[in-house]
Amino acid sequence: MRILIVEDEPKVASFIRRALEEESYAVDVCPDGVEGRDLACEVNYDLIILDLMLPNLPGLGVLKGIRAEKVKTPVLILTARSEVDQRVKGLDAGADDYLTKPFAIEELLARSRALMRRASGETSGILQIDDLILNPITHEVTRAGQRIDLTSKEYALLEYMMRSTGRVLTRPMISEHVWDLDFDTFTNVIDVYISYLRNKIDKGHERNLIHTIRGSGYTLGPERK
Amino acid sequence: MSNTSIRVRLTIWYGCGLALIMILFASALYLVMSRALEDQIDHSLEDAAMAAARSLEEHRFGPFLLLDDLAQAFPELALLDKFFQIFGPQGQITLQSANITTRNIPLSESAMQAALQGEATYESVRFQGGISIRLLSYPIKHGETLVNILRVGTSLRPVEEMLNRLVFVLLIGSPLAVIVSMFGGWFLAGRALRPVDTITLAAQRIAAGDLTQRIHTTSADEIGRLASTFNDMIARLEASIRQIRQFSADASHELRTPLTITKGETELALRKERTPEVYREVLESNLEEIDRMSRIVDELLFLSRADLGEIKIAKEPVQLDQLVQEIQHQAIVLGKDREVETVLGTLEPTQVVGDEWRLRELFLNIVDNAVKYSREKGTVEINLEHANGMAKISVQDNGIGISPDEQKLVFDRFFRSDTARAHAQKGTGLGLAICKWIAETHQGQIQVESTPGQGSRFTIFLPLLGQA
Repeated sequence: MRILIVEDEPKVASFIRRALEEESYAVDVCPDGVEGRDLACEVNYDLIILDLMLPNLPGLGVLKGIRAEKVKTPVLILTARSEVDQRVKGLDAGADDYLTKPFAIEELLARSRALMRRASGETSGILQIDDLILNPITHEVTRAGQRIDLTSKEYALLEYMMRSTGRVLTRPMISEHVWDLDFDTFTNVIDVYISYLRNKIDKGHERNLIHTIRGSGYTLGPERK
Repeated sequence: MSNTSIRVRLTIWYGCGLALIMILFASALYLVMSRALEDQIDHSLEDAAMAAARSLEEHRFGPFLLLDDLAQAFPELALLDKFFQIFGPQGQITLQSANITTRNIPLSESAMQAALQGEATYESVRFQGGISIRLLSYPIKHGETLVNILRVGTSLRPVEEMLNRLVFVLLIGSPLAVIVSMFGGWFLAGRALRPVDTITLAAQRIAAGDLTQRIHTTSADEIGRLASTFNDMIARLEASIRQIRQFSADASHELRTPLTITKGETELALRKERTPEVYREVLESNLEEIDRMSRIVDELLFLSRADLGEIKIAKEPVQLDQLVQEIQHQAIVLGKDREVETVLGTLEPTQVVGDEWRLRELFLNIVDNAVKYSREKGTVEINLEHANGMAKISVQDNGIGISPDEQKLVFDRFFRSDTARAHAQKGTGLGLAICKWIAETHQGQIQVESTPGQGSRFTIFLPLLGQA
């Protein structure tokens, strides 16, 4: 799950970034309205956290810009103004939710989870495929009732794959949703992490859940014929 | 009485005033009228007496005074609303006219005495049964001897009837007039006071919090002037409340950013066990934000006290060239990290009147901004000259500059340009507003010229000593 933060106050952007990274999300930060809009249109983010007061292009302009480009990514707006009309304008311009500064970190994380859950069509919040269960709130992963310990990156990869179950995920798609802008796509890091995951999830079980689709990528789901 | 409406009070006062006037008028009218009628009666009695006396003389004081002869000789007596009596010198009746029917009206003692003195007497006599008569006793003399006393009388009844009718008219008419005019007064007072009710209603709506209310008035009378004064007052109130709302919204917005940072960083740090270095970093960052908040609060307090006129400004001679030199030394220290140089151009010896401490704050703020927004290894130049009786202090930098749109706004409270906001060192957005206030309380001015990307020049004008 990859998130874009468009926020010009460096310290605010920084602690939001660190909080999201601790939750194993891939995070990009952009301090400028125009750049943020362009980035949101280029990269397929799973969530955009958008401040309304931005240099060069205000948050509402960014929002209108990306919705005009048919980008459907959920947007959470941050506003320092508590006036109702600011929030109404934001929601009407295509935002999915808002938070008023100062906000609680846990609330930001919960709202982010909820927005991404809604975007992937989930309802319960707990992801399950066969006997593999992932809880995005506690980051607990079990297979057949047995707890599996994952590193942060492994967890991020698994969560993304479980949210896109049944679809074929190419390496560029995986890198776009699990790694941030600093990621070098010319390495075989993705293959390495897939093999780590296989070791932890499929090893010792009858049915394999991670499958390689030759020539295109990977998919996660019940056994294929 | 103070609970009663003005309308009722006006009407009551009006009614009482009018009633008093009516009473005085009616009494005066009655007096004048009755006196005039009495005079008229007396005159006619006198005329009749004269005529009768001449007739007596013609008849050579004969014992026969025939009314028919009298009536023939004097047609004005033909009305015969008068009766005549002629008494002898001893007061006995010798002759009386036929229209005296039943009553015997003897000559009174006082009339007799007066007649002996040769004087005429007027008397009013009231008989039982309510008949009043006016009498004139007139002595007729031959030489020095009293020959006869002629008496003429007439009934006062027509006069009394007339006066009674007058009293009747006044008794009925006056209260009626008072009542009618009280209704008129009630109506007029209501009409005059209706705009007051309108103003009251508007004021109630305004008191309920709706400051957009205005009183609609077209008249230019007293009430109209009151309404327009009231409207002006509400307009000013509305403007200043809007200003206060804007100011507190801005202030809360400015305080929200450091609050968001301290809250966010602290919560994040507490989510897990961290290394001491992480805690230290969070505490240091929080301290920075707390400093920023206290700076905002201090400056807000300063500005609100300045708005209330609570800040005292000393009026002492200030040696401006010396002050500018000290500021330059401080600016050199401020610019050391980023190798920004601060130089002095022209420095004319200058004295102004004012508060040295506030002026220092003003210059330091401007010079600090210039250093802060300069490029690395840039130069800030300070000049002190005289222009049109003013001291002119200019501070020129070659930093990021301010766009023309933003130049108009830089002295506004909480305004920060996009470039300033993106700058690493956060200001409070109040510094230049405070500078403007200080310059203006010294009867001076502050201006900015700037080219984005090339730098800005802030110019401060202050009146020279002896010119203020």
